[in-house]
Amino acid sequence: MNAVQRFIRSRVLLLTAAILIAAMCLSVLVQSQSQAALNRTVDENSRGLYDVLVQAKAPSGALMQPEIANGTGGISFEQLEAIRKLSGTSVAAPISLVSRVTQNLESPRLEAMDFLGYNAGLAGTASSDQAAGATPPDKWPAAESVLADETRKYRLTASAVSSDGVSEQTLFKSTAEGTLGKAKLVEERAAGGSSIRIAAPEDETGIKFPAPAGGSEHNLFNVSVSLPLAPEVTESVVAVDPAAERALLGSAGDFLSPLEKAPPADARNAGAVGRYFEGLFTNGISLEELEEGPDFLGVKLKYWAPLMTQYQQAKRTGQLTADSQAIPLIVRSGTSLDLKYNVEIEEIDAAGKVVKDVGTVSRSLDKDYLPFVSKDPFVLSWPGSTDHSSLLGSSGNFNPGLYTPATWSTDFAAAPKYTDDETAANGAIEKTAVPGEWVTVNRLPEKSSNGMPVDQTQREPVDERSYRENLETGEKSAAPLAMVYGTFDPSAVAAAAGDVNKLPLGGYDPAPFTLVKDAAGTEVPATELEPSLSASGLASQSAGAITDYYGLAAARGYTGNASVIDAIRVRAKAPGSWKQAQPDVEKLAGEIRGMGLEATVVAGSAREDASIFVPGYSKDDAGKESALGTVQQSWVRQNAADAVTGSLSGTNVTLLFLTLCGGALLTGASTVSYIRKRRSEAGTLRAMGWTQGRIRRWVLEEFGVGAVLLAVAGTVLSLVSWSLSTALVSAAVLVLYAAAAFFAAQQLRHRDVIDQEPQHDERLIPVDSPLTFANRQLSTNKFNTLSLAVAVGVFGAAVGGLIALLIDIPRAAGASALSGLAAASVALPSILLALAGVAVGLVLTLVTGRFELIAKRQYLGILEAMGWNPDMLRQVRLFENALVGTVALPLGVLGALGIGLLLAPYAAIWAGVAGLVAVLCWIPIATKVVQ
Amino acid sequence: MTNPTNVQRSRRSGSGEAPLQTRANTIVKSADHATPLELSDITIRYGGGKGGAEAVSVVEGFDLTLHAGEMHCVAGRSGSGKTSILTVGAGLTLPTSGRVFWEGDSLESMGDDEIADRRRALIGYVDQGGALIDGMSALENVLLPAVPDGEVDQRRDMAKDLLDLVGLGRRMRHRPAQLSGGERQRVAIARALILGTRVLVVDEPTASLDRASANRIISILKDTTSDGIAVLVASHDHELVRLSDTLTELI
Repeated sequence: MNAVQRFIRSRVLLLTAAILIAAMCLSVLVQSQSQAALNRTVDENSRGLYDVLVQAKAPSGALMQPEIANGTGGISFEQLEAIRKLSGTSVAAPISLVSRVTQNLESPRLEAMDFLGYNAGLAGTASSDQAAGATPPDKWPAAESVLADETRKYRLTASAVSSDGVSEQTLFKSTAEGTLGKAKLVEERAAGGSSIRIAAPEDETGIKFPAPAGGSEHNLFNVSVSLPLAPEVTESVVAVDPAAERALLGSAGDFLSPLEKAPPADARNAGAVGRYFEGLFTNGISLEELEEGPDFLGVKLKYWAPLMTQYQQAKRTGQLTADSQAIPLIVRSGTSLDLKYNVEIEEIDAAGKVVKDVGTVSRSLDKDYLPFVSKDPFVLSWPGSTDHSSLLGSSGNFNPGLYTPATWSTDFAAAPKYTDDETAANGAIEKTAVPGEWVTVNRLPEKSSNGMPVDQTQREPVDERSYRENLETGEKSAAPLAMVYGTFDPSAVAAAAGDVNKLPLGGYDPAPFTLVKDAAGTEVPATELEPSLSASGLASQSAGAITDYYGLAAARGYTGNASVIDAIRVRAKAPGSWKQAQPDVEKLAGEIRGMGLEATVVAGSAREDASIFVPGYSKDDAGKESALGTVQQSWVRQNAADAVTGSLSGTNVTLLFLTLCGGALLTGASTVSYIRKRRSEAGTLRAMGWTQGRIRRWVLEEFGVGAVLLAVAGTVLSLVSWSLSTALVSAAVLVLYAAAAFFAAQQLRHRDVIDQEPQHDERLIPVDSPLTFANRQLSTNKFNTLSLAVAVGVFGAAVGGLIALLIDIPRAAGASALSGLAAASVALPSILLALAGVAVGLVLTLVTGRFELIAKRQYLGILEAMGWNPDMLRQVRLFENALVGTVALPLGVLGALGIGLLLAPYAAIWAGVAGLVAVLCWIPIATKVVQ
Repeated sequence: MTNPTNVQRSRRSGSGEAPLQTRANTIVKSADHATPLELSDITIRYGGGKGGAEAVSVVEGFDLTLHAGEMHCVAGRSGSGKTSILTVGAGLTLPTSGRVFWEGDSLESMGDDEIADRRRALIGYVDQGGALIDGMSALENVLLPAVPDGEVDQRRDMAKDLLDLVGLGRRMRHRPAQLSGGERQRVAIARALILGTRVLVVDEPTASLDRASANRIISILKDTTSDGIAVLVASHDHELVRLSDTLTELI
C-alpha cells in the first residue's frame, strides 16, 4: 500500500486536508470577492459630486459661517474664477444663501355668499376686461344669500393650528363680533345719470378683526370678511451657478436649464420686467398664452404672477428703484406645510349668548403649496355659500386670486451649535445640538401695510428656539423681486446627488428632522417634522429655492460684485475612486488653501444619520422650557470610507483568523486521533524490524500527500486571486499542517515505559453513583476530557461569533448609508465565514469526541452487563457531558465575548450569551447522540 | 460459519449419559421455578439487515437448562457462537428466535429496566479478558454492581473478602493497567459475585492465560458451584471442559 493509498485510507488525515483546503478557499472568497465588493461599494459611494468643499476664513482664521445679515459670504467671484483656473479643477460650483423668503398669509378672507344677481351696471364694470368664458346675462342665476334680510349679530372666532407631525398647537385665537345682513343694490341719481352701488343694511356694523386685518365689505357676489394674519411661512433660497450645478448633478440638474438661459443681470431689471408685462396685459393676452406663460427675453416665465404682484406692490409702496433686480427662482415642488386655519361662526344675541351655531369652516395649507405661488387666494367660505364669481369668467386680471405675496426678508437662520459626544464603534460621532438664543415668534407686525400700528394684544407671542432672528417689519427693502421659473423634484436630485439640499455647508442648511424620541427620551414612531410655521414646529427646512448667481450681490444689498459666495464645491479632474484620486485631490486642496481659503477634502466622506437631542425648543408664558426631543439629521462624516472599509475589512480578517485558528485546533485534534490509531501499527512495524527513521518516513509520506494537495490548492488559489493575503494564509496553513505531521511522527517514536505500579489514590472521590462514575472517567482521561472541552468551547465561541456578526451586520447597515451599502456587499461571505467557524467547531467536537468513543462504548457495555439499567447509563452519559460542558463553559463564554469584542463590541454580551446557550445545548444533544 | 450445526453432547457429571437439554418449544413459563437459567429453542442470526449482507446463522434451536450448583460448559471452535449464547443467556442481547427464562420468567415479557434489575440480582457476567473499568481500583471495580442500589459502603467488606477469596487481597488498590490478565479475570469474577449472584456467566476465562493462572480461575469457578451458584462458561480449555458438569459442544 503506497502513501497515497494510506492517505486515502486514513480518513482523519483526509478530513483534515479537506477542511484546511476549505479554509483556504474561504480566505480567497473573503479576500478577493468580498474585499473587492467592499472596496467597490465604498469607492462608488464615497466620491460624491465633489471632492473639496471650499469655505471662507474669517480674519481671525476661524471658519466663516454663512451669514447674510451682515451681507458677506466670504468668497469673491475672483476667488471662484481662480479656483476654476487651477489645473486640477474639473468643476467649481459656488453656492450661497440668498435669503429666506417669508410668506405671510396677509389677507385670509371669509366669504359669505350674498349674491345680488345680474346687474348690467355692476357686471359691466366688473367685466370690462373679462376674458372669454363669462356667463351671458340671461343665464345668471337669481340672487341668493346666506345672510338674512335683517341684520343679525355674529361672532367669528379665527384660529390657526400648526402641527409638527406629533402634536398640534394653536398659534393664535382671535374673536370679532358684529352684525351682517343681506345687501341690496341702490340706484342713485347723479349728475348726468344714475349710479348703482351695493349698500349694506343700514344697521349693519360689519365685522372687524383687529389690525392689520381689514373689516368686512359687500360686493356683487358676497360679503368678504378680512381675517387675522396667519403666521409666516419661510423658505430658504440658495443661489447656485446653473452651469456648474448641472455639471455636478448631471441629468438630475436639468431643471436648472431655464436658468442657464436667463438674461444677464443688467438685462433683468425688475422695473423693466414689470413694465414689459404691464404692457403685455395692456395690449391683451390670450388665455392660452396666460396658461403657457409668455416669453421674456427667450425665457418662459411660467410663474409670472408673483413677480408682477411684487412689482405692483413695490411700485405702490415706492420701494422699486432703478436698480431693483429680478431674480429667477426654481422652487422645490411638493412642499408640505401643515397649517390649519379655522373660523367658527356663531349667531349671538345682544347679550352675547349663542343663538345658533352656524358652523366652523377650515382651510389647510397642506398640499401643492409653492412659495410665491398659490392657486387660489386663501379664502374660507361661509357654510352654505356658493361662489358665483366665476360667472364673470376668467377676468385676466392677475390681482384677484392672489394674496399679497411674499415679503422678501433677509433674516437668516442662526445655526445651532453642535458638539461632539461619544464615538460609536463604527466611528460615528453622536452630536448634540444646542439651539441659538430665544427669539420671539408669533408676533404680529408692528405696522400694517398702510403704516398704522398693529394691535399687538390679539396674539400671544411665544419664545422659540428658532433660527429666525430680528423679526422686524415695515422697512424692508424690496429691491430684489423673485421670479419663479419652475420647480424641481428634490427626490430626483437626491437620487443623483445625495440631495443637493444636504450639502455639508455647515449648520445653516438643516435637513428635515425626524423625531425619534420625545422630550422625555421615550422612543416614538419616527415622524418627519413638517417645516415649521410656528413656535411648536421646527423652523428648519431644506433650501427651498435655487436661483442663479446673477443678482446675488444685489440680493445681499451690494451694488457691485462682493464676496457673496458662501462655499464652492470643487470636483477634481483626477479620475477613479476616491482612493485613487486622493493624492490629486489633496494637491488641489492644498492649492486652494494657498489662496487663503478653507478647503476640506470630502472625497471619502459619506452621509449618515446622526441622532441629535435638541434640549430646549419652546418656552411658554410661564417661562417653562420644553425640549423638542431627539431628532435624526443627515450628517456628513469625514473619512467615512476609510472607517467603513477598515471596520468591515477588520471584521473579515478577524473572522478569517478565527476560522484558521479553528482549523489549527482541528489539525491538532486530527493528529492526536491519527497517532492513537497508528500507534499499534507503529509497534507492529517496529516488531517487524522497522527502524525508527523508517517508521517516521512511513508516517511523513502520508502527511506528504496531504501537504502536496494543500500546496497545489494554495498555489492555484493564490494565482487565481492574485492576493498576497491568500498566499500568506495558504503558506500559514501549509506550515500548520507540516508542524502537525512532524508532531505526529515524533509521537510515534518508541518509548520505554517504566511501570511504577502506582497505588490507587484514595483522595479520589469514591465511585458510588453515576455522577461520581462520570467524574472518575473524565478525571482518568484528562487529555481526552480537556480536548473535548476545548472543542466544545471553540464551538460555543464560534456560535457567539456568528451571533455577534448577525447582530452587527444590520447595525452596521443602519449606521449610515455608506456602511449600509458596504455591509450589504460583504454580508453573505461574512456570514458564510462565520458559519464555517461554527462548522469547524462542530467537527472539532466530533473528532475529539471520537478519542474516547471506543473506550466509552466498552465501559458502558460493562456497566450494562453488571445490571446498570438504561436510565443510569443515560445518567452516566449526561453527567459526563455536563462535566465536559462545565469545563467548556468558561472557554465558550469568554471566547464568544472576546470574538464579540473584536467584531462588534456592543454585541459582545449577546455573543457571550449565545456561547453559553450553545454549550448548554451541546450537553443534551451529545448525550442523545452517544448511545 | 455458513451452515452451522449444533451437535449437543451432554453428560451429567459422575453419572451419566442422560441428556441435560430438553426442547421446550412452547414453554412460556418454565415448570421449574428453581431453574435459574433456561434457554429454549434459541436461534441467533447476524446480518441480513439494510446493508444487503447475507444473514449468517450462528446458533439454531439451542436448548439449555442450567440448575443451581451446576457448571455447564459451552465449547466449540472460534466463531461457533459460544459468546453469543452467553450474551443471550445474560440478557445482554436478544436471540433471533427462542426464549430465555430466568428463574422461570421469560425475558420476553420484561422491559429493559426490569431486565437490568433482574440481571443485577441474578446474573454475574464475566467478559472475555475480564473487562474492567480503567481508572478505578480493583476494589472499586468489584463494588461497581452495588452502585445502582446504593450499597457501595455496605458491600465494601464483602468486596474485600471476595478479592481475598480470589487471591487478590493485596492488590485491591491497584488499577486494571497494573494487573495481569489472570488477575483482571479474577477481579471480574469477584465483581460478578458481589451481589450474591445465582448464575455466573463467564466467557473464555482462561484464554491467553498460563496453565497455573488458568487452573486458579477454574478452581474458583468450581468452588462457586459448591455454594449453589450455577455457572455457564464458554471455553475450549480442556481442563475446564473436563471439570464441567454438563457440556454443549458447538460444531
